[in-house]
Amino acid sequence: MFAFTVRRLFQMIVVLWAVSVIVFLMMSLVGDPVFMVVPIDATQAEIAQAREILGLDRPMIVQYGIFVSGLLQGDFGLSYVFRQPALDLIVERLPATVEMVVVAIAIATVVAIPLGVYAGANPGKPLSRLIMSGSLLGVSLPGFWIGMMLIWVLAVEYRIFPSSGRGDTAVLFGVQTSLATANGWHHIILPALTLSVGTLAILLRMTRAGMMEVTRQDYMKFARAKGVSRHGVLYGHGLRNALIPVVTIFGLQVGDMIAFATITETIFAWPGMGKLLIDSIYRADRPVIVVYLMLVAVIFVVINFIIDILYTLIDPRITVK
Amino acid sequence: MTLHLTMRRLLTTATFAIALPFATLAQAKDITIGLTSDATILDPQAGEELSSNIMFYHIFDPLVRRGADLQFGPGLAESWSQKDEKTWVFKLRAGVKFHNGETLKASDVVFTIDRLKTSVMSNLSANIATVTAVDDLTVEISTPGPYAALPNDLAAILILNEAYVKSVGDVEFGLKPMGTGPYKLAEWVKEDHITLEAFADYFAGPAKIDTVVFRPITNPATRTAALLTGELDVVQDLAVRDVERAKAEPGIEVLTRPSLLNILLAMDVREKSPTVDLEKNPMTDLRVREAMARAIDVDTINKVIMNGLATPSAQFVPDSHVGHVDGADFRAMYPFDIARAKELMAEAGFADGFTMTLDATNNRYVNDAQIAQALTSMLSQIGINLQLNMMPKSNFWGHIRVPSENSSFIMSGWDVPSGDAGSMYNALFYSRDKKPGYGEVNRTSYSNAEVDALLDKADSTAKMEERDGYLQEASKLLLADIPMIPVHYEQDIYAVHEGVVFEPRTDKFIWAYEMDVAE
Repeated sequence: MFAFTVRRLFQMIVVLWAVSVIVFLMMSLVGDPVFMVVPIDATQAEIAQAREILGLDRPMIVQYGIFVSGLLQGDFGLSYVFRQPALDLIVERLPATVEMVVVAIAIATVVAIPLGVYAGANPGKPLSRLIMSGSLLGVSLPGFWIGMMLIWVLAVEYRIFPSSGRGDTAVLFGVQTSLATANGWHHIILPALTLSVGTLAILLRMTRAGMMEVTRQDYMKFARAKGVSRHGVLYGHGLRNALIPVVTIFGLQVGDMIAFATITETIFAWPGMGKLLIDSIYRADRPVIVVYLMLVAVIFVVINFIIDILYTLIDPRITVK
Repeated sequence: MTLHLTMRRLLTTATFAIALPFATLAQAKDITIGLTSDATILDPQAGEELSSNIMFYHIFDPLVRRGADLQFGPGLAESWSQKDEKTWVFKLRAGVKFHNGETLKASDVVFTIDRLKTSVMSNLSANIATVTAVDDLTVEISTPGPYAALPNDLAAILILNEAYVKSVGDVEFGLKPMGTGPYKLAEWVKEDHITLEAFADYFAGPAKIDTVVFRPITNPATRTAALLTGELDVVQDLAVRDVERAKAEPGIEVLTRPSLLNILLAMDVREKSPTVDLEKNPMTDLRVREAMARAIDVDTINKVIMNGLATPSAQFVPDSHVGHVDGADFRAMYPFDIARAKELMAEAGFADGFTMTLDATNNRYVNDAQIAQALTSMLSQIGINLQLNMMPKSNFWGHIRVPSENSSFIMSGWDVPSGDAGSMYNALFYSRDKKPGYGEVNRTSYSNAEVDALLDKADSTAKMEERDGYLQEASKLLLADIPMIPVHYEQDIYAVHEGVVFEPRTDKFIWAYEMDVAE
């Protein structure tokens, strides 16, 4: 277990280094950040002055050296546009994204697992067919369309939910979150629902496929013959064995939702960090992009680490080495 | 406003006995305004995009105030005079308070301009040589040469508090700005809202609206939805496709106003142009430039691409500007006329046309990509085979920058909020490399000694009427010479709820101090 953790940590450092190099190289292609800062009628001398203030007057390799040495001292650099520490910009937007993802994941799990188990155990029934066609819609409909429709129907026509924004926040476990206020919950439902639809459909289909596979196994029949209730067999014996691929996909989906909830955030004017990434790409704001993608890499490594641990809990025959 | 109304109703029903202490609360007015993006930084010397600019003018004041219609009047300076051709004396208002209670002093003005000179926005102080505080309320500003438009330039320079900026440092100042403006920053939750509160001791009297909330909503459809649900009282940049929908809604009014942003097509006039594979660049010939101007049907672009929400440009600057020539109209001089355009091409020896590349943005101007595509089909009518090179704005400015070796034909916008054609002409049309600070953005390499001489004269008189005269002469020459084709001004579109008193400004800066909401 210890060796496993150390190896994962080492892998993470390699991944982070690779991300930083790739982003630095790529940024020489996406445009010159100086022109995003100076007015369009700036003279050569004014552009040169701005370049110097932003530290862009030095060669790429020197800039990278400064970035890495800053990194080792915990300094992630200043955004060109915001003139604030890049990490702070991301971290202050992180809670909004995470809370939306948490709610979305909760919705997806609570809905997808029981429906998936049902559809897998009763493949021929009309309700299963309905569930499966519904999930097909969920996989195929783009998130922005679902979001706009939800806003149109539930916010504009029926005025049940607010159309956008995060609402009131309060401190919960030391974090400013909208999950601590009723107004915040009122605001989070639509974006979380929108974000959850794709994941919900995928989880549902994975669960169903796993269950169909598992229900044909002899130990299932044996358990029923032995007198275990239908519910007990399905959830105790069936679901547990169908869960490994579901958990794998689940982990990847969570990472994806945290890192790239951009579309949902933009539609609902949700003040999360995904929008920051897109804005920063438009503005060629390299420090923010580098730190953001490095953070995303960390998130994925951590999630995969947790998933590996979860495997051993679900199936004791698996061990981490 | 909606929330506030419910609160008022509650208060009126609940309180007669305790009406007095609540009287002031019941009068409190608030408004929520939907913007297209969040401010990036609230230090007025660190950036200049629109959302930040809107915040700057609430929190800070300039010496000279630019009115909604580009009229210039006293701001923090109550009066000014010219001591000699290059020296101006500005008298500050006495007793102007900063939000922290300190009084405005001449030394704050000196500090502001000195700090500006070393910032990324040093461009704003290009026409200022030195600043000195004569006494606590008198500032002397000298210009490098005689320069009549100095007060207009000062409208873009916002005065900071020296002691405050020095004590909090640059990074902190960008988050917690403090100035003399009509509003104080109450709360800034990034990407969610910025709340401003009226500053009770504002020198021109407190604002009518007590609390202003700005919400950044990037997605235009969401902005419209939030307007319809009443979450927003005012929206900026209502999407063109939502205009009819908003007009149909009772209690919502759509307001439009031509912006200052003139979309221009710059034609390279160097002997050899980078994307034209000919010995001699055809656009050096005035007849070719005129043919191109006549081949572009601005009215069709307006009707089909802009839904009628653009104003075809008559000149390089709008009629509110110094240097605008009354009665001169590019559209009347070179009306859409394919037959005449073909004749001109033939006369110039290019009856078979030629091939070149248009550099344009695809995320900067309203429908910029569609306009570029329309230009290819319009110019193909006169045999010009236009290739498109479209880029996001982050690549664009670097690609077309001067000295531009890459471009033959560029579409970009230009606005002059200072209300004076001089700065635009100096940057775009003055011969390159002739005089420092002039012609630095001359993307066409246009060079006309007469224009240069007129611009020199305009910049060496300290009298506004003389300056206007020289700039008008320059305008006439430029309209005849066609270094660029002006296309149209975009329209600024707003929607407001009934009861909101709001008049869009030419410079697009929403300013709550000029606004009011009905009781």
